[in-house]
Amino acid sequence: MAALHRQKRLSNALFALPYLVVFAALLAFPLGWGVYLSMQKADLFGLYGFIGTNNYVRVLNDPLFWQAVRVTLLFVATTVPVLVGLGLFLALALNRRTRGSAILRGAFFSSTVLSVTIVTLIWRFVFIPGDGLLSIGFEAMGWEPIGFLSTRGWSLFSVGIATVWWCLGLPMILILAALQQIPADLYEAAALDNASRWRMFSRITIPQISGTLILVAVIQIVMQFQLFGQAQLMTNGGPNGSSRPLVLYIYRTAFENWDVGRGAAASELLFLIILAAAMLQFWVTRRANR
Amino acid sequence: MKRLLLASTAATLFATGAQAQTTIELQRFFGACDADYGDVTDVSSAVGECGIITALINDFEAQNEDIDVEVTTVEWPGYDQLNAQLASRNAPDVVSMHYSVISDYTSRNLLEPLDDLLAEQGIETSSFTDAALAGVTKDGQIYALPFDNWTMLWHLNMNLMEEAGLVDDSGAPILPSNTDEFFEHAATFEEATGKPYLVQILANETAAYARLFYTFMLQQGADPFSDPTQIDLMTPEAKAVVEFLKKISDEGATTTDMDYAAAVAGFGSGEGGIGVNGTWLIGDYTAQSEEEGNALSDGYTVYPIPQLFATQDATYADGHGWAVPRNPGRDDDVTAAIGKLMAYLAENDFQWARTGHLPAVASVFEMDEFQSLPHRDNIAEVAQTGQSLNPQVLRQFSIQDIIGEEFNSAVHGDKTVDEALEAAQNRINDLLANL
Repeated sequence: MAALHRQKRLSNALFALPYLVVFAALLAFPLGWGVYLSMQKADLFGLYGFIGTNNYVRVLNDPLFWQAVRVTLLFVATTVPVLVGLGLFLALALNRRTRGSAILRGAFFSSTVLSVTIVTLIWRFVFIPGDGLLSIGFEAMGWEPIGFLSTRGWSLFSVGIATVWWCLGLPMILILAALQQIPADLYEAAALDNASRWRMFSRITIPQISGTLILVAVIQIVMQFQLFGQAQLMTNGGPNGSSRPLVLYIYRTAFENWDVGRGAAASELLFLIILAAAMLQFWVTRRANR
Repeated sequence: MKRLLLASTAATLFATGAQAQTTIELQRFFGACDADYGDVTDVSSAVGECGIITALINDFEAQNEDIDVEVTTVEWPGYDQLNAQLASRNAPDVVSMHYSVISDYTSRNLLEPLDDLLAEQGIETSSFTDAALAGVTKDGQIYALPFDNWTMLWHLNMNLMEEAGLVDDSGAPILPSNTDEFFEHAATFEEATGKPYLVQILANETAAYARLFYTFMLQQGADPFSDPTQIDLMTPEAKAVVEFLKKISDEGATTTDMDYAAAVAGFGSGEGGIGVNGTWLIGDYTAQSEEEGNALSDGYTVYPIPQLFATQDATYADGHGWAVPRNPGRDDDVTAAIGKLMAYLAENDFQWARTGHLPAVASVFEMDEFQSLPHRDNIAEVAQTGQSLNPQVLRQFSIQDIIGEEFNSAVHGDKTVDEALEAAQNRINDLLANL
């Protein structure tokens, strides 16, 4: 009997094999290979010897790395709440069964399907000096135009605006789906109790969709930590690295400077940062819900 | 059934014939312009880098019907993409390459030496200019077909220069001969026209800063790479250059916040007097000046960057070549086709020189057609004054990025000049110490 049970359990495991193979090939092996590379003197064309933690020491002693960490943390800390908040607001506003809502849902989601190249091109038309939309507007108002893409502070702000516009669709749709799962009788019962709209929102809506809000926040934290294309195409990380996120730092190090070992070390550190941030977010939200 | 068999045989023969065509994969920057030049084979009618190289390839294919050149256009400079292709052993057959990066690739044995290939096509190395040949020769072997030499220039809006009274009786522009005179001219220009003297690329690009820095260092007779394995930027000469670049910005003598595309368009639309940009724009701006109703109409010329520092007249120069990534599995017929393409490009170096670049083939300088091209007299001295960095310096594009980024922060006041120089030196030396 026990032997049959063991055999059954082994055959059950076979069902997970396809996923495990993909997981091992596309996640576990690259992660392990990345750790191995980070301890090598390496460029794209070969490995030139084991150097222990030297790459990590170089990365951790590099002021540019810490600048990129600060830029990335600031970016995540500002864009994620905006994405979750705006996504919630839009989902609440569009949670109706009308044709207008359906059209607007499609309109707000449409930016998400664009490639990063198109998104940055559109926003460059808005932000570039001279012929840019904002520049023309500023000149029409008699104000001094701002170099949105080339001024410290404004450059990261501009990348953030483009990112929120691009990424807003997914949070909105996920939260909308969660809102539509809330049983209508909860609201009917609350209405019978003469509950205010705010009370219904804070005591029914938010608790009912809290799981989705956590999911959206974690997805956005992980996504925004990986900011790359918008920063590279809109500001090239400038001026003076003030809009250079960690992934652009890694890319420059590994592909432009041919220092793949050091780039791999920075990648492993980014992995740890994302993991810690996502776990922290998860832990804090769970604790608050308890 | 008989018909079906005949049709199948014909289709098979046709397919076999198509397979017999040799394909060269060519990867280049210089932009994409297929909408305008996709079918153009009359090279003389093409204008600008993109137009001319596209027409040249079209013409080569028309002349060699058995060779198909598959062109991949990459965003300038395209080395990240090339590196990934080389790492995955999927590199193109021919690739555009700056002379200043060839050493990076030869140091990893990634390029084919072309001496034999060029010799088989009857191309003698003595036919190239000294500067071009030096740019592509590493350890005594040639690693690219030299195509041109280029440098940064002063593109002049003569309509605005005239308005500012900075034109002499012969109609030539009056250019400054030192940094003090530069600021006097800039103030005169701004007062007369209400516009900045220079149109510069100061946003989201690093190459322009580095090229100007090298030019003004050379003019002071200073070589920051006297040792090719490390840079020395803590010198009075380096400080003088960065302070000069900063003062240009502080005194409003330049446009600000313009990236490359905005600066090219900005000079073309008359947003300043002098566009600081490369040889490659001469053809485009000349064509624009020949049209009516624009800021450059009948009012464009171009000069080398004037000697603003005392020691010598010099300007930083680099060049474009065509390299062949190493591929032991490449078929002989592909190699032969590459040789034909190289011979064609060398033969038509004059056409490429119409862009504004200096020819790599020495005999082009003697051609009447070349000498009659507009403004070439003004810039002919670049052949003597143009100097490159020590070719033993590796990662010149990465170094360029670091210099551009740090000097940009000094120019915009985010760092002091000394801090920027020290940061640039530390970053470059860390890069070079860990190759």
